Amino acid sequence: MFRGRYAIPAALLASVGIFGLMAFSPSAAQADSTTPTTLASAGGGYTYPTPTTSPTVSASSGYGTANINLPETFIAPGQAIFDASCASCHGADASGTSRAPNLQGLGAGTVDFWVSTGRMPLADSSVQATEKPPRFNRTETLQIAAFVQSKTPGTGVPIPIVNLSAANLESGGSLYTLNCAACHTITGAGDALAGGAYAPSLHLATPTQIIEAIRSGPGNMPRFSEGNLTPTEAHDIAAYVHGVIQQPDDRGGFGLGGVGPVGEGFVGLLIGVGLLMLVCFWIGERS
Amino acid sequence: MIDSSLRWVDDRLGIAKGGRTFLDKIFPDHWSFMLGEIALYSFLVLLGTGVFLSLYYIPSAHEIVYHGSYLPLQGQKVSEAYASSVGLSFDVKSGLLMRQAHHWAADIFLGAIAVHMARVFFTGAFRKPRELNWIVGVSMLLLGIVNGFLGYSLPDDLVSGTGIRITYSIVESIPLVGSYLGFFLFGGNYPGNGIIIPRFFLLHVLIVPALIIGLLAAHLGLLVKQKHTQFKGRGKTEHNVVGSPMFPTFMAKTTGFLFMTTAVTFILAGFAQINPIWQFGQYEPFQISYAVQPDWYMGWLDGALRIMPSWEFVGWGHTIPLEVLLPAVIFPGIIFNIFFAWPFIEARHTGDLAYHNLLDRPRDRPKRTGAGAMMLMLMFMVFSASSTDVLANFFQIRLNSVLWFFRIAVPVIPVITYFLTVKICEEMAGAEGIGKRKPPNLVHRSATGEFSTVPTEARPGDGHEELEAVPVPTFIDMVPADLATGPGIRRVMR
Repeated sequence: MFRGRYAIPAALLASVGIFGLMAFSPSAAQADSTTPTTLASAGGGYTYPTPTTSPTVSASSGYGTANINLPETFIAPGQAIFDASCASCHGADASGTSRAPNLQGLGAGTVDFWVSTGRMPLADSSVQATEKPPRFNRTETLQIAAFVQSKTPGTGVPIPIVNLSAANLESGGSLYTLNCAACHTITGAGDALAGGAYAPSLHLATPTQIIEAIRSGPGNMPRFSEGNLTPTEAHDIAAYVHGVIQQPDDRGGFGLGGVGPVGEGFVGLLIGVGLLMLVCFWIGERS
Repeated sequence: MIDSSLRWVDDRLGIAKGGRTFLDKIFPDHWSFMLGEIALYSFLVLLGTGVFLSLYYIPSAHEIVYHGSYLPLQGQKVSEAYASSVGLSFDVKSGLLMRQAHHWAADIFLGAIAVHMARVFFTGAFRKPRELNWIVGVSMLLLGIVNGFLGYSLPDDLVSGTGIRITYSIVESIPLVGSYLGFFLFGGNYPGNGIIIPRFFLLHVLIVPALIIGLLAAHLGLLVKQKHTQFKGRGKTEHNVVGSPMFPTFMAKTTGFLFMTTAVTFILAGFAQINPIWQFGQYEPFQISYAVQPDWYMGWLDGALRIMPSWEFVGWGHTIPLEVLLPAVIFPGIIFNIFFAWPFIEARHTGDLAYHNLLDRPRDRPKRTGAGAMMLMLMFMVFSASSTDVLANFFQIRLNSVLWFFRIAVPVIPVITYFLTVKICEEMAGAEGIGKRKPPNLVHRSATGEFSTVPTEARPGDGHEELEAVPVPTFIDMVPADLATGPGIRRVMR
């Protein structure tokens, strides 16, 4: 009467489902505690990629305030690269032309951000420069930065020395929510802004780039001075992005892109309801 | 032993007779009659997982310092509601599984209601005498949406708090009574005095579910009382029901379906993350994240809000924010009024006041099918409009272009859908042999190399199921039908 034809496959699937889930449920995940590992790698693991002819650290006190001093020897090779790759738009002395803005006074950090994220050289002059694999290696990037910085010594955004070992994730989390989430979204996935501009995803940004972006305000992004966010707070945000946003604790399963209920709705309707309609078709016609 | 106990019960309660009738209730064998059961069983999953969650959730906006096992939140000031939601996800065994199953079950519950409703609509099962049951069903849909929103709001995370904030503004936009209504609901100006979470909790776990259960009982009671509808076919008339009895056939099918619904829900809950509130953080009224949408069943309201131009009426010392009032109050009001009134609208339009137990094929009622397709398309377009930012970012197009696309597409595409659907239905009704299984052709090659095709005989079972399109009946057919035959098939008179 109660034929196994319906009940046994269903019960099997149910048990497979429940056991599959046990593997993903907190009870199983509790022991190995992914979160502290994540935090450890965020805190201590980051080292600044040192260029070959070592730039020196500027001597200053306080956590998060150290910057890179680019050596004089970088300026000449930097000028050569600048002449070859940048001067046609920005002008030979980086003071800008009708095609591109003046770079003097922006500082080495600004140049480092634009070049190391691949935004410069520009792919096309659309609404917003897009990030792509960087054209220059680390040393070449710093050489360009040194050349531009040499035009106006001591002004603009410096390249920070990032040390996240003392950063405070809790403070970084609340500062991120308050200052960044409104455009970059709370999961850091990024989103479209008005008029073709967009807030890019933060998942590939390095801590150095994050702090440089906070200080220089590239594109549509607001610029946060040290009066808005102290060096310590900027480091806390970089630590949060690096340790939590970039390595999210997706212990609930696949993260579905972190775009929220729209993705969840499609999964719920297409996979959830869709699968059950197939089940309905499978069971329904039997008598 | 069991027999004598049952006899003892029956001698006193006399339920065997009614029970027999119930066990003999006939269910038609078409698969689409089981769609409503997805909703029924995901509701059971909701009740089960919801009871589990309520053991650990604390409905309080009282501020405490978080000391749970999610490190990035350590030491932050959070509400007890948020702390307990994160706590039951991280520090309670299988708590996250239960919370995700609850959320997925809610998405599936409302999706299944929508699919079931579409089946009832397109086959005309809502016609006399079943208008009441249609209204009961639409009421459950409405309550389901409301309860989904209430549950979404309870964890007090950044995303849900944003939803409550929008809701407050929508309530405020109602002319004359809006601000008073908002004060009444929230106990003061937004965000109130911390009482909104206990109030939503009470509504979510007690009042709305109790209403849904009551309506569910009425829904199923009416179903048994009025008996099932059925598709046209051999031996099926307006006066009988052909199908399988409740026991044993349907019981086996439906029990299997219960297991399958539970399984699919829990598979999703185990493998696909939903609403990771620990990543969102505690809600503070001065914080906001971009890319925040409500769950899909509220998404159509969000979409309507997004594409509405910023119109407002100012006069006589008052402001009426039409940009909120029209899309978020009047638009859903019109939609649900159409849902509730549809059986009567259609009866008035067709003048068809007869009893109907036989279902229509959608293609035989082009205008109704067109209207249904138009409504589905409207809902889909408005729902898609709730993800303007996600679409713009994903396809790398201008957000403004996406917005203007939806402003034009939302009114235009549903109308095109209507005429297209009506045209397709009419074409199908006039086409020869449509829906028939085509007999295979045998290809012969003669000795001289000539090819010829010879149609084979129709297979058993082909042909006789084919039905003629019938006009709207003006009388009830009293001619007794020939008996349905076949193993396991029973027929009862109404």
